[in-house]
Amino acid sequence: MDEGGTPPIRPSASLGTTFPARGKEDPGLAARCANAVAPQDDEGAGLRQPALDGQAPFVAIENASYRYRPAGPPIVDGIDWAIPRGAIHCLLGRSGCGKTTLLKLAAGLLLPSGGAIRIGGAALGGPDPRIGFVFQTPTLLDWLSALDNVLLPVSLKRRPRAADREAARERLALVGLGDLAERRPPELSGGQQSRVALARALMGEPDLLLFDEPFAALDAITREELQDDLLRLCALRGSTALFVTHDIAEAVYLGDRVAVMAAGRIVHAQDLDLPRPRPHGLRYDPAFAAACRTLRGAMDGAG
Amino acid sequence: MSQRLPSLLLFLALIAAWEAWCRLAAVPALVLPPPSAVLATLGSEIVSGRLWPHLAVTAAEMALGLAFGAVLGLGTGILLAESPRLSRLLRPYILASQLVPKLALGPLFLIWFGFGMTPAVAITALICFFPLMENTFTGLTEVDAGRRDLFRMLGASRLQTLLRLKLPAALPVIMAGLRVAVVLALVGAVVGEFVGGRAGLGASIIAAQSVMDTSLIFALFVVITALGMIVYEAVRAIERRVLHRYSKG
Repeated sequence: MDEGGTPPIRPSASLGTTFPARGKEDPGLAARCANAVAPQDDEGAGLRQPALDGQAPFVAIENASYRYRPAGPPIVDGIDWAIPRGAIHCLLGRSGCGKTTLLKLAAGLLLPSGGAIRIGGAALGGPDPRIGFVFQTPTLLDWLSALDNVLLPVSLKRRPRAADREAARERLALVGLGDLAERRPPELSGGQQSRVALARALMGEPDLLLFDEPFAALDAITREELQDDLLRLCALRGSTALFVTHDIAEAVYLGDRVAVMAAGRIVHAQDLDLPRPRPHGLRYDPAFAAACRTLRGAMDGAG
Repeated sequence: MSQRLPSLLLFLALIAAWEAWCRLAAVPALVLPPPSAVLATLGSEIVSGRLWPHLAVTAAEMALGLAFGAVLGLGTGILLAESPRLSRLLRPYILASQLVPKLALGPLFLIWFGFGMTPAVAITALICFFPLMENTFTGLTEVDAGRRDLFRMLGASRLQTLLRLKLPAALPVIMAGLRVAVVLALVGAVVGEFVGGRAGLGASIIAAQSVMDTSLIFALFVVITALGMIVYEAVRAIERRVLHRYSKG
């Protein structure tokens, strides 16, 4: 790990050993990834998600739109989207395409000008304690220790008990910061601050996790470590997640399904049938590259 | 210490030049007393005990004015930051009240409050109010949107957001306002005494002027400057203690 003194959470995925040399790639991996190359060709105007085995999706965005002023241009323009329970979906798009606004609609931080957001069937009317939000910046409180920052969701409701402290320490240990619980954010590196923010989002035991480009400011290696942490933590509790990013590789690595947004609309969507858990070296697999290329094409096509 | 050495040497050189100028050019002591005479006057004022009551009065005015002004400024800053409507309504009036030269209010305060400490305390409070209000307002409104959204997501109440997020986040800016206010408080107290004081360092300057005791005026400058430096450094020390938790290491 780049931040001295912290034991890594998982055996460090040394990049040199796990991905195979060109020409003799792991055939199993290639076969497992094969489906990813063939995206559902469901581009176009009336884009709808197929019904999810007949049951209602956990998160349902129904014809949602948002504009800052009633007469102004729509930032989010009639989007339909559904996330089944336990799935990780990614929203991909350039800056200013409306993806962060859509995420804030899903969080209840903004209320849609039209349409509705439903979580577990109930319409969302404001910020909801069932939702954990990880912001673009770690948004930690500099004057509190890492532990107290993780405890914040609890301490805003009641005086934390010993059990809460224990739970917070556990969350910190899960993101590899077990030894740094007493440090304050200014004493932590950028990657460690992002980890504290991740641990804090997990503290409220949320049913839905929303991520707003949380790793965009980190270096590539730290970002990959955090992506693995995130997947591991989501898998642990079977969390449902919506992850906003402008990084194509990040979207492909994290998502079960990726949507490309442009000018407030979803212009492309595809399922990614890559293996879970993500094997080491997946980023260098042809199927991964092909998925990235398709998404890049969709983004370019969107202008 | 080695960093302060050049500064100290410059001070000694300036004092020596001043002394030499007075002696060589035979400057009348009424116009500019030499530092040695100022020091002698200061010494006799301290030894005779005449200085202490005046120092105590000025320090008390300063402390009371600062306390009233700071509490009022902090409260008003919070109120205006929390209520944009109230802010739009009141800000022009608050600004106007600060643009009136406050020292010019001295004679008015004399009529309202009479001679003594009260007018000086009132002027000091009025002067200290503004930097605290302005910095509190700025600090509270500049809390970044991400952290405010975080508190909304966590279901924090308005009071919780103020006490647990906005005030702690604004504390460095508020402390900077307090530092400015402390310096202004001394000015307020001394000048307030010019107008209506019967005791205090400012009143003593007026008394010394009436008997043409220039070296006593200079001695009082030294005392006022020393008082200002001590109080300023005390606030700096408090600031460092309070903000210790905000910085690296």
